[in-house]
Amino acid sequence: MTSPTTEDLQAITEQVWLSYLDPEGVAPFLPSEETPALPHVIAAVSVTGAWEGHVVMAFSASASQMAASALLGIEEEEVSRDDIADAVGELVNVIGGNVKSLLPDGSLLSLPHVATIDEGVNKWPAAVEVCRLQGSWQNEPIAISVWTSKSTG
Amino acid sequence: MKILIADDSRVMRQIVTRTLRQAGYGGHELVEAADGRQAHDLTISEKPDLVLSDWNMPEMTGIEVLRALRAGGVDVPFGFVTSEGTDEMRQMAEQAGALFLITKPFTADNFTDVLGPILG
Repeated sequence: MTSPTTEDLQAITEQVWLSYLDPEGVAPFLPSEETPALPHVIAAVSVTGAWEGHVVMAFSASASQMAASALLGIEEEEVSRDDIADAVGELVNVIGGNVKSLLPDGSLLSLPHVATIDEGVNKWPAAVEVCRLQGSWQNEPIAISVWTSKSTG
Repeated sequence: MKILIADDSRVMRQIVTRTLRQAGYGGHELVEAADGRQAHDLTISEKPDLVLSDWNMPEMTGIEVLRALRAGGVDVPFGFVTSEGTDEMRQMAEQAGALFLITKPFTADNFTDVLGPILG
């Protein structure tokens, strides 16, 4: 079954950045080998139905704070935990919705889940990674990955 | 003109507000609703000229809000702003009387194209 590719993620991410985080085109998401170190913030949506898996974003703590600040139009110092959850949850929801549009009809998107990971114990035990885009935004690392069920992938 | 923005995400309400401004509609009065029930009730009490609504919201979904408004005889121009835009959703939206469905991510140009004919 066809799965999304890193190129798909790159095209979707470019659109999301231009629409929401970098409308002036001055602070793009730059792909690189960099990946967010712990502790970091993850935001995930799951896909069920015709295709099963997860779309996961990982942000450095600072990247998550910058995203909330940029999206809400407030200073970084004013950003609350709820603001961060709302912001990164909305970002993964939009990216997940666009990933889902590449998947077979009959796939359903879950509500977003956001967590701060302090230690390396975040697992997707029934899934394998099918593609990953990682890089940085204003020098802060962000990674986006798509995982599919071991049984349907 | 008065525009009602319905989305349970404060971030998304802010993004819609900013995009309206970038598209040249910053001068309109904006009203915000944080769930479907509020969107329904504020549409009746505030009488907006346009409703921009998310699809998935607590209390009532966007499509439920639209159907309830139409069933109550309220024919306010109504459109969806949503992260998914399947053919099925577009069909449901159209059948319920929605004028458009904008998928996220959207730009100011998308707003101008869709809202221009409605807001002038």
